[in-house]
Amino acid sequence: MRLLTSPLRRMLSGLLNCCEREGGRPSKCCSLNPHHLLPRQNFSAKPTAAELVRYWHGVFEANRIPEAQESSEYIISYVLGAKTIHSLSASSLSNPLTSEQQQQVQWLSMKRLQRMPVQYVLGEWDFRELTLKMRPPVFIPRPETEDLVSLVLQKSQRSGSPAVNAGHRCPTAIPHPVILEIGCGSGAIALSLLNKLPQSRVIAVDKEEAAVNLTCENAQRLQLQDRIRILHYDACSGSWEQLLPWGPVDTIVSNPPYVFHEDMAHLAEEILSYEDLDALDGGNDGMRVIKKILALAPFILKDLGVFLEVDPRHPEMVENWLQSHPELSLSISATHKDFCGKPRFLHIQKHKAGDSSNKKDFACPSVHLP
Amino acid sequence: MNASSLFHSTINTLAWRPWLWRQQKFLSPQLAIPLFPVAGKKNSCDLLALNETDLEEQFVRGDGPGGQATNKTSNCVVLKHIPSGIVVKCHQTRSVELNRQRAREILQQKVDLFYKGENSDIFKEKRTAEKKKQEKKRRAKENLEKKMHIKEMQESDSK
Repeated sequence: MRLLTSPLRRMLSGLLNCCEREGGRPSKCCSLNPHHLLPRQNFSAKPTAAELVRYWHGVFEANRIPEAQESSEYIISYVLGAKTIHSLSASSLSNPLTSEQQQQVQWLSMKRLQRMPVQYVLGEWDFRELTLKMRPPVFIPRPETEDLVSLVLQKSQRSGSPAVNAGHRCPTAIPHPVILEIGCGSGAIALSLLNKLPQSRVIAVDKEEAAVNLTCENAQRLQLQDRIRILHYDACSGSWEQLLPWGPVDTIVSNPPYVFHEDMAHLAEEILSYEDLDALDGGNDGMRVIKKILALAPFILKDLGVFLEVDPRHPEMVENWLQSHPELSLSISATHKDFCGKPRFLHIQKHKAGDSSNKKDFACPSVHLP
Repeated sequence: MNASSLFHSTINTLAWRPWLWRQQKFLSPQLAIPLFPVAGKKNSCDLLALNETDLEEQFVRGDGPGGQATNKTSNCVVLKHIPSGIVVKCHQTRSVELNRQRAREILQQKVDLFYKGENSDIFKEKRTAEKKKQEKKRRAKENLEKKMHIKEMQESDSK
């Protein structure tokens, strides 16, 4: 049975107004179809967390909201002050919620019914050890990107190991690494690196002011603002003068927009309606921003190299592109897979001087680690 | 002018050094960095090391291209220890990386218990904790009985 009671209908129309203010593109996300809610006769006067999770799971499912169970669990945990339902004790789950808590659950769940991503609904999300504020339309960090940080940490901390390939340098551990992040979004990568590398400094840039502001806010919340400089800068603008005074940097890291333009239309409604599409769309071959970053590298980069997250089709495409741009003197020194086994991360470094002659004899070496 | 001078930096004598948890070195499958140990009393336990090659990891992520093209919040990690067949599931946190670390910690405890039985530090800790709990209960019961006795005495005095 599906009901929409009139007080809820009033709340829904209030939410539609709110949706426009908070982000989201009303023509896509705020459909005129009423949301299907379930009758609450089965509730006790004060429902428990477990009962509410079941109820809202049912509502989300009835309204074809993806990840109905997870959405319900995250919202109710959040209202109870926990990160996940699994970190709550059995007794917390069977305690009744106050009416304020119930109202908060309702308010947040109505947003999820608008297909707002859970991370925006809660206004926060975790990335590795950090909890970051999230706000539309700034790009929500993906879990794969946590491994990109691991990769940069590993390479930044390695000391004196032999070069994997003859043509690439493996420098000793750098005491005070300076890292440039292009497209910092919410600050996830930059702040994770700062957190794990206490001696490091980060220059984070983004072409969107909303991202610059959010990174700034997150840096301050985590007390990392002293070691980061955040610039409102468009890496595709072609003018690098603004960046040059900050260089040279030890490494460049980026999760640049890499979705192929033709794939954009197939993305979930959550993404299309709420996230900054410029943070996703990499142009026809998904490499528009990747190419700009690699073209910038020789001007500003020292030895550690460039770390990129990419589409699984990109490793070969990037390799070919670098070969056709020998003036950059860059090549892929390693390709790493994400936790789903897809090639996802590239480590690109400068050739050693005098290696260009070898390029004729073999394809640019790429170490594919398992 | 370079980055160092633009930053107001102070010299910090604390050099980073890798943390190794005695014999236990966790290696994530693709990236060979030691995972950081969790602080707390478990550090004093002497547990069997887990070899990454004995582990099989799966992620409950659902279908989809992954990466930027997907925004899924389910990040449950399923970790299997192939020699013993023990499987643990972890979705305690909202971070995949932390769930992976936590899954390895839990698995290590279970594997240790599996192979060592009563000799496992985990078993011994549990037993000590259980004893303490029972002792606490016994004392609380005693105190309650004492209080009730005193109350009875006072009531009979006032009559």
